[in-house]
Amino acid sequence: MIPDNAEELQILAGEYVLGVLDPDRAREIEAALPHHAELGRAVAFWQERLQPLTALARPVEPPPGLWEQIERRLAAPAAPSGAGLWRSLALWRAAAAAALVVAAALALYIAVAPPPAGPSYVAVLHAPQQAQPAFVATGGRSGLLLRAVAEAAPPGDRGFELWAIAPGAKPQSLGIVPADGRIELGRLPLALGQGTVLAISIEPKTGSPTGQPTGPVVFSGTLLPAR
Amino acid sequence: MLPLRRFSAAPMDISSGSMHGGAQHRPPMDQKLAALASLDELLLAVQRGSRAALKRLYELESRRLYGIALRITRRSDLAADALQDAFIQVWQNARSFAPERGSAAAWLTGILRFRALDALRKLGRETPSDDPTLGDRAEEPDIAAALDLEAAGRALRRCLEALEEKQRRCIILAFVDGLSHAEIAQRLPAPLGSVKSWVRRGLLSLRSCLEP
Repeated sequence: MIPDNAEELQILAGEYVLGVLDPDRAREIEAALPHHAELGRAVAFWQERLQPLTALARPVEPPPGLWEQIERRLAAPAAPSGAGLWRSLALWRAAAAAALVVAAALALYIAVAPPPAGPSYVAVLHAPQQAQPAFVATGGRSGLLLRAVAEAAPPGDRGFELWAIAPGAKPQSLGIVPADGRIELGRLPLALGQGTVLAISIEPKTGSPTGQPTGPVVFSGTLLPAR
Repeated sequence: MLPLRRFSAAPMDISSGSMHGGAQHRPPMDQKLAALASLDELLLAVQRGSRAALKRLYELESRRLYGIALRITRRSDLAADALQDAFIQVWQNARSFAPERGSAAAWLTGILRFRALDALRKLGRETPSDDPTLGDRAEEPDIAAALDLEAAGRALRRCLEALEEKQRRCIILAFVDGLSHAEIAQRLPAPLGSVKSWVRRGLLSLRSCLEP
């Protein structure tokens, strides 16, 4: 998916920043960004160096009331029971504690779970640039198990859809994530391997109409071999 | 809830008149540096959850960003949606801003451009302008005038001028006007394969020219 070759990586990052990639490929890059430091640096390089060209667009006053609309959107959906600084502080404390518990549970799971046939892999899915895990996935030749490890729900009329993205391949849907955040699959449409990215995007409740992610990727993680 | 309400109920003391009018009378370089330093600081404050810092960012950057969105989408409704989505994303993803990697201005531009391109793609990209004053896109924008304002711009101009003309036009049409490979091919006109390879080779040359 993301080239190893340094020159190809630079070109891909440049094409991404220019905006010429097709939407599927662009979304793939977006999903990989939080986990791929070199890609992140390459994208930042192009954004920074091409930035002066934006002076070619003349500044224009946005329509009145736009900030108020932004404020209303920020106030509304995220936390229905009264968002505020104190609430988010408490949330963060809880999240930090939960992360410790999850790390311990994951270590225990890896230590005591019966070894599945063939190599097995683990991925921790989290929001971009956030340490707090939201889902944990374990899998191998015998299937895949995804479980929620934090409260996460899609906005109102939308659903979460799970995708597996093998290196160099297009995203493959692994299904809609049910409300309990648990997916257990016996047969997979692809072979899981090291470097396969699992990603969860926001889609219509019945799943992406195109068979490819259409909404933003909200959680993602890379499969690593469990030893 | 209360602290947030207090911030928004007390408008900050920057009427658009004093901000934009006053700026032009000061030495441009000082003004520019001061503005950039404070954008970074504001974004770091947004990371810590300050809604007031987000509002200040909007006040400082919305004209520039809306102008870019308008240039790409050619439609005021799409540009307004893109600007709105971009600020929601800035609030939600502020933590992904890393000052050691690049400036706040470039980070904001990146988010805005992707939201503007998204808005276009949802409509199948080729959309007629709804604003008669926008007219036809400039085929060859005045790069020199726009880039000579600051050192980074001069470096970019030097490197762009070193490219073959077709490579340069492809890169500018993509970045400034938000055109896809196929749209550039139609615009020039040129075969799609050639456009893809001009973009690739242009990026490679730019990269080696710009690298410190």
